[in-house]
Amino acid sequence: MYALSIRQLNVWYDKQHVLKDITVDVPRRQITAIIGPSGCGKSTLLKSLNRLLDLNERVRVSGQVLFEGQNIYDPGTDVTDVRTRIGLLAQKPFPLPMSIFDNVAYGPRIHGLGNGHLAQIVTAQLQAVGLWEEVKDRLKAPATGLSGGQQQRLCLARTLAVAPEVLLCDESTASLDPISARGIEALLRGLREKYTLVLVTHDIEQARRLADHVVFMWLGELVEHGPAGPFFAQPEQKLTQAYLAREIG
Amino acid sequence: MKRTQLRKVKDRFFTWLMRFFLVTAAALLGLILLGIAWRGVGALSWEMVSQSPQGGFYLGKGGGILNAIVGSLYLALGATTLASLIAIPVVLYMHVYARGGRLANNVRLTLDIMWGIPSIVYGAFGFSLMIFLGLRASLLAGIIALALVVLPILARTFDEIVSMAPRHLRETALALGTTRLEFLGVLLRQTAPGLLTAILLAFGRGIGDAASVLFTAGYTDNMPESLLRPVASLPLAVFFQLSTPFPEVQARAYASALVLTILVLAISLLAHFSMTRLGRHVIR
Repeated sequence: MYALSIRQLNVWYDKQHVLKDITVDVPRRQITAIIGPSGCGKSTLLKSLNRLLDLNERVRVSGQVLFEGQNIYDPGTDVTDVRTRIGLLAQKPFPLPMSIFDNVAYGPRIHGLGNGHLAQIVTAQLQAVGLWEEVKDRLKAPATGLSGGQQQRLCLARTLAVAPEVLLCDESTASLDPISARGIEALLRGLREKYTLVLVTHDIEQARRLADHVVFMWLGELVEHGPAGPFFAQPEQKLTQAYLAREIG
Repeated sequence: MKRTQLRKVKDRFFTWLMRFFLVTAAALLGLILLGIAWRGVGALSWEMVSQSPQGGFYLGKGGGILNAIVGSLYLALGATTLASLIAIPVVLYMHVYARGGRLANNVRLTLDIMWGIPSIVYGAFGFSLMIFLGLRASLLAGIIALALVVLPILARTFDEIVSMAPRHLRETALALGTTRLEFLGVLLRQTAPGLLTAILLAFGRGIGDAASVLFTAGYTDNMPESLLRPVASLPLAVFFQLSTPFPEVQARAYASALVLTILVLAISLLAHFSMTRLGRHVIR
């Protein structure tokens, strides 16, 4: 039922307490949207789910994040494995310094997937994100030559090529033009059949369009969460009502 | 009104002052190049760059400085290779494993201090090391002393280049489930053009250094024969020829300096062109 279970998660940046006692479950094969104003800790929460927070030396974490029953903050955890199974699509498209083909092939290559049929994997993933027709004649060209929207689709193909179970999206459409953003949204909606998606957005409308499940954060605390229908129709908390009515935030 | 005028005059005055110094700096380079070319180009000949000194070369007789050209190339090539072998792992370790830590800062401080040490000191150190090991002045000793001179230049330049790599590169690679070693490979791809610049910069600095090779590499009129025999070098060739009282030999000193300058210029151009080729995939 739940892919991820967050239990009493607390995060500090130096002395600053940025996530306070978060406890919430992420349903499998659905889209969970984390919403809230800038600086409320939604990106921090997202990056705590695949231990990308570890990259910041000043971060301290307590509590648990159970992924398929295993606490990923256990000392014996294979962090590389966690990050392989829980992929990330970042805010800004960021291709690796390689060709278009190698960007998608990079993950499978290091994980030893697709020996001998790497080209098939790359083709399939580029088709899945609707990029194949646009790049099939220039697979050897630098990925930086693509437009922003194309780059973000390439990044999505790169992430999916590693065959993750969960996909984290950190405001993945925020830096794109409206048409490209819609394109990415449509792709994400289609992915929910195969993947568990967690996406961070400050765009309430986007959450309305995409989310099955919503988590509302305010100043590092979880205010309210639940299935999208009731959440948007009849929010329980005053703070949520005010935020959805755009009176605050 | 008066105040505005004064401000405008000030603005104009300082703009022109800065332009003047800008031109001065450029003119100095031009003057040096012209001066060397003016005095050296007459003595520059095919014989000069294709032959080793023959008997009485320093008295004005036949021969050339091929021994010094080849010797300098060997010395600089050996020293840059040796320094790269040390600098590349050091810098990558600082950025991938010891990021932002005290260790990295201490290594940086060490390299900065090494950068400040005059090359004659490395020469003297290399000389005492040679004596201790029972070596004679040789290509090998020259390479070791020169490697000490170029190591901080190479390492700190590469360090700055790696520092400029986009912050998201790390997150992107690690989010795909790479190990730190695999991330290091990605980082190296991103910084390869800059690394080449650092290496060529070190090479250019190394090929012109006289003090470190003075005692350690020695000097000979023969072509380099082995790692354990002395070799000639261009800076010392300039020095020895310029020290003679004969105008025609002194002219050859300028020709040698011209050869050295052309070599360094060629390396800079090579760096420029190979960078655009290698930098195809780099994320900016």
